[in-house]
Formats: sequence, C-alpha cells, structure tokens
Amino acid sequence: MIIDALLLALQPSVLLYMFLGVAGGIFIGCLPGLTTTMGVALVLPLTFGMDATHSILLLIGVYVGAVYGGSISAILLNTPGTPASAATAIDGHAMAARGEAGRALGISTISSFLGGIISCFFLILISPYLAKFALKFSAPEFFMLAVFGLCIISSISGRSVLIGLLCGAFGVLIATIGIDDISGVARFTFGNMNLFSGVNFIPVMIGLFAMSQAFVSVEDMMKKQSDAKKITQALPHKEDWRVIFKNSAIFGSLGTFIGSVPGVGADIASFIAYGQSKGLSKNGDKYGTGVPEAISAPEAANNGVTGGALIPMLTLGVPGDAVAAIMIGALTVQGLQPGPLLFQNNTAIVYAIFIGFFVANIFMVCIGLSSVRLFTRVLSVPKAVLTPIIFLLCFVGSYSLANNFFDVIVMFVFGVFGYFLKKIGVSPSPIILGLILGPMAESNFRRALLMSRGEYDTFFSTGISWFFFVLIVASLLFPVFKKLTKKK
Amino acid sequence: MKNKIKTLIVSSLIAAGMSSLAHSAENYPDSPVRIIVPYSAGGGSDSVSRALAEALKPEFPKGIAVENRTGGAGSVGMSYGMHAKPNGETITMVAPELVMLPHSGNGGDIDYKKFTPLAIVNSGYAAITVPADSPYKTLGDLIKAAKSKNLLFGNSGTGSIWHLAGVGMEKAAGVQFTHIPFKGSSAAITSLLGNHLDAVSVSYAEVASQVKAGLLRTLVVLAPKRLADAPNIPTAKELGFDVAIGTWRGYCVPVGTPDYIVNYLTDAILKAANSAEFKSFMAVSNNDVDIIGPKEFQEKLDRENKFYKELISTL
Repeated sequence: MIIDALLLALQPSVLLYMFLGVAGGIFIGCLPGLTTTMGVALVLPLTFGMDATHSILLLIGVYVGAVYGGSISAILLNTPGTPASAATAIDGHAMAARGEAGRALGISTISSFLGGIISCFFLILISPYLAKFALKFSAPEFFMLAVFGLCIISSISGRSVLIGLLCGAFGVLIATIGIDDISGVARFTFGNMNLFSGVNFIPVMIGLFAMSQAFVSVEDMMKKQSDAKKITQALPHKEDWRVIFKNSAIFGSLGTFIGSVPGVGADIASFIAYGQSKGLSKNGDKYGTGVPEAISAPEAANNGVTGGALIPMLTLGVPGDAVAAIMIGALTVQGLQPGPLLFQNNTAIVYAIFIGFFVANIFMVCIGLSSVRLFTRVLSVPKAVLTPIIFLLCFVGSYSLANNFFDVIVMFVFGVFGYFLKKIGVSPSPIILGLILGPMAESNFRRALLMSRGEYDTFFSTGISWFFFVLIVASLLFPVFKKLTKKK
Repeated sequence: MKNKIKTLIVSSLIAAGMSSLAHSAENYPDSPVRIIVPYSAGGGSDSVSRALAEALKPEFPKGIAVENRTGGAGSVGMSYGMHAKPNGETITMVAPELVMLPHSGNGGDIDYKKFTPLAIVNSGYAAITVPADSPYKTLGDLIKAAKSKNLLFGNSGTGSIWHLAGVGMEKAAGVQFTHIPFKGSSAAITSLLGNHLDAVSVSYAEVASQVKAGLLRTLVVLAPKRLADAPNIPTAKELGFDVAIGTWRGYCVPVGTPDYIVNYLTDAILKAANSAEFKSFMAVSNNDVDIIGPKEFQEKLDRENKFYKELISTL
C-alpha cells in the first residue's frame, strides 16, 4: 500500500506540479491582497483535467507555499501577505529594520518548515484521535477559545494596553456590521447591500497594514530619507537555532491542534502562538523590538495549521477551514468522497496525500532558503518603484476578493486610518484580532445559550471549557504576578 | 495627412454603425458573455456554473466566463446581474434566495420580476439527518420525541433555505424544534457529528459521504420523489407530511433582453445541460441534474415566492 502511494506521489509529473504549486503559492502568499484561500481557488479550475493525485497535491503545494509566503512580505515590507502572517510582521519587520532581514527570513522559513513537518507527523500518526477530540468542541468551547484568543490583545498592543483594548473593541464593533448569524437581522447596514455580509476583514487588513505602509513610504520619499539597509546576516545566528527548535516544537503542535478544530484557522493560531510565546520567553518584555521567538512561534503555528486542517477533511469529510473546503470540492470532482470511507476505499491516495504533504514542506524550505538573498533584494528596489506596485496590489487584491468596488473603498478608508495610527505609534494588530475573534465569540456565546436553553452553566460544563478558563485567568494574571515578584 | 485622418474617422464611424446594425439575431454572441455567480469561487454554485460554462463554450465563439460577485447571501451578485444591460452579455445564476431574501428584509433591491428566467439545471433537496447512534430510527420517532421535549435542530443560518426546510417540517408535523443556526451547513454537520445536536436539516448531498460511511443517518428527504442516489430514504410525502423544500440553480437575464437573445441563451443552456460532459461532472460532484425550461421556471418562481412569503411571515 505504501509502495502504491509512493509510486503515486513521487511520479516526476506530480513532483513537478507540487514544486510549481509551492513556488506559485509562495508568490501568491507574498502579495498583499491575494490570500491563501484565493490562491487555492484560482488553481482549482486547472485541476479539473488532472487525475486525483496531481490535483490534490498541486493544491496542497499551493496551500503550504502560500501560508509560508505571507511572512516574506510581512518581514521585508511590514505588509503581511495573508492574515496568517500579521503576527509575524510585528517582530519580523522590526528585525529587518535593524538590517537583519536575512536572519528574520531564515528564522521564519525554518520555523514554517518545522511547523509543517510536525503537523505532518500528527496527521499521519494520530489524525483519527485528534479528529475525535476536535469534535468535542461545541459552542461553549468555541466561545472560551475565542475569549482566550482575545486575551492576546494584551501582548500585541505595543506601548499601551489600554489603547490596544480600545483598538480590539473597535475591531469587534466593526465585526457586528452585517446580517447577524443567529437572528438573521441586519445590523448597522443602513440598507446598503454591500454591508449585508459585513465588512470583509481582508480589505480591512490590506488597508491597515499594506496601504498604510505604502503611505508611510511615500512620506519617506518626500522627506528624501535614504534608508538603504545593509543586509548583514543571511542565515539565523547560532543561538537562534535553539529558539527555533523549541518554539517550532511547541507552537507547531499547537497550530496542528488548532487547525484540526473545524472553523479555526491559521490567522487565529499565529496570534495565539505570538501571545503565548511572549509569556514563555525570557525576552517577553523585548517583544515588538525584533526577537527571534516572536517570529518563530507564529510561523511554526500557521504552518502547523496546514496539516491540522486536513485532519477533519480526511477523517470526517468536513472542512477544517476555507482552503480545506475547496480541497473537498476538488476531491469530489475527482469522484472521491473525502471522509472516513476515503481511508477504506482509497488508501493509496490518502497515503499519497501524506507523502505529498511532507514533500511540499521540503520544497518549501528549499525554495525559501535558496531565495533569501533574492527576497532581500526587494529592499534595495527604490521605494519610487516599489511603492506604486504595492498601491496597485492593494487595489487589485481588495477588488478581486468579491469583484466589488466597495471592498476597495473599505481598504482605502482603513489605509488612511492605519496611516494615522502609525503616526501616533499605535499597532493595528488588535483591530484585526477583534475582527476575527469578535464574531466567533459573539455567535458562539449566543449559540451556546440557545442550545442550553438559557442556562449559563453550559460555559463550565466540560473539561475543555474549564481548561480554557484556567488559561484565560492565567494569561491575564501572569504579567501582574511577574510585576509584583519583580518589585520585591 | 488631413485626408488620412478623415478617412480614419469616417471608416471608424461606418464600422461603428455597421456593428450596431449587425446587432441582430444572426450575430448574437458577438462579444464575450459572462455568467455572474453570486457565491464564492470553489463552492457548489461556482463549480456547477463553471461546468455549465465549459459545456456552453461551442455556442459562444467570443468566450463565456464565470465571474463571482459575492456578499449578502447572494443578494449582492443577483442585484448586480439584475441591473446589468439587457443585451445578453450578462447572465446571472440565481437560487431560491432570490425569492426568499426580500421577505426577510435582507434582499436589498433584488426582485425576481426584474429577471427573465432561462432555465434551471440542478436541484437539491433538504434531508433530516441524525447521528448514527441516535435513538430516533424513523421520522415518526423524531416527531414523537419533539412533542415531549425540545430537540436541537441545526441549520445553515437563520433565514437560510435549510432553516426554512426545518421550519417547513415542523409546520407540517405540528411540532416545535429549537433551531440552532450555524454559519454554513458544514459547521452544523460537524456539530451533529460531535453529538451536540439532535438533528440537522441540510441538503442530502452535504451529508451523503457521512451517511454512506455510517456516521450519520438520514431519516427523510423533503423531496417530491425519492432521490436517485438515496433510493432507500423515504420522502416526507410518503410518510404523510406534505412538504418539499430544496434549492436549485437557474440562469436569468435582466427583463428587457430581446427575445432572440433569450431564445438563443435558453436553447444553448438546455443543450449544454443535456451534454454528456456536464452530466458526468454533475454525477461525480454529487449534484443532481434537474432541467427545467423557461415557462416552468417562471411558474416555479411565482409559486416559491408566495410559499416563502407565507413561511417567513410565520417565523
């Protein structure tokens, strides 16, 4: 059976497709505005003419590449290519700004690789158990997870936690716009159809990160500031390796687990990893200034999600995230039904997916490491050339999400807003976190109460809920405790 | 030089005049045609429309392509297509949401009367599904239990077609379920797999793989007749409940489109939907081909508009 799978997955043409998929995925991931989901959806029609192995492994290649690729633009240009690398931008760009772009890219590449490989092992060895465990998540557990995620705001707010909380609350408020999931009532839409499905958070992200950064570049150009950075370091330092291995092991596993819970994706995983690694690290108070742990943890976690997201798809036939939903579509078109029967009826293709996933990660690290020098050259491109390209990508990217000009307006408004936030030194990350987690917390809170017929003790009825509750309390009290003990 | 410019202008004017004259029956698709799909790329509506566009290609030498315009449960794309120029260059894929959303106030300006229907190519019906280890073996068991206790009934979102299917079932049986809305069918199915719900009302195609694997059990389909790929599952009608609710995918052009274009498009779509390549795609992708011509399509829209108006008013 393994031999069959090897023969399937290691055909030269499959390897070529996967290589192209990973390279294309990295490219798509790099570009602000082209998300991982969009990249995979773009490639999907090309796979209709292929056989099942070529089709699914090409898509997996794109997926793995794109989740990693987002970190490249996050580090070099402070414009995360995908929401999953928004957390990486914080310290990644700070490190690059010191002239250590190569070091930052090296850390992110190797951590992404290790995160991917760890999730691959989990996928192969314990996916049925992880899937069973993930099914235990119901509305109360999702609510607790979302609240736990929101606690990360305290770690990503930069100078002032109060301003961070305000930004987070602003994100949560924006997320209430649109037709409410639970009651079906339209909120704050003012009858504008473009707001019925809410403010799409991708244009908000493109605006807050990419567009605002482009405005800053324009300003720098006008001030005639030359910021030719010397690239001093092409690979991680010796002492970085220990950090990379430790963080990748912990947060790659965390990412896999988060990915295996249907409905929670790479964006949430990377923020949680960023926040938690801050608590674990000795350099916790240096976070935000470009510390290696703060790059390694979110990158290991977001690539850990890739393997995790395949678990519910392969074992239960339900998508773990939007990308897995497209892959289910691709497999069905091939006449394969993802789910428990796939393991029984098409064992060879399941093993081929495992092997292919492994190979895709190897391609990713090879392409990533060999191109570090090429990527860092972006920094020597004159801003007068680079900035218009970024402007163009912002517009094209936000338009292409739904072919709706309204999204471009949203992007632009948040671009201007983000520019002023940058001017006063406020980090936009809590807004994104509020936008992602606010709806998850709200709808699951109300869903849980519907399911329990209004009994609030539903939030403390399972071990998982209690587990998250303890984590929430611990992550909020830990910094206070640390401060108190320091004073003595 | 002057002369040259003059000839250029004159000749381009003539060319322009000719092309507007030439806009007659023989020359219709003289430019690329696009199909507006109001749902996202990679989903069911998208893949069915792309497969149909592929089968339509021979009839459209200048090209035919799918364009996704998403948002507002489909209202954004449908509204966009409704306001397009009625010249046959913009076809819109529509679904029951066209006659549902306006009654819940979430349809924006969409109005099915502003569309000329061409054809329906596909339909899918609701199924009521329980976990495999559920004590409810038949629809009768479930309804009996619903009389004495609150059953948690998952659906794909309040006001969505599968929520209305659950409501239609409870009305027909004279019982009440506790409806639990999720964001999309797969979230509801996942929750059912985790035994957090008593049942879900979603389309049969969405639970087919779990039913075949023995994880879930479909008690009934809310269809006019038994489904081809689930011949053992009874319909609600057989069990004495007069309820059939399902989704469909049809294609429309804006009202005011010239008849020769409407006829050309209708013929082309009916031919494409009957083609072997389209049918084989539909078979492997778990979609039932259900071809309905323009006249019955119009009647269906009128009928469902009335039906959903009544049903939604009782929510």
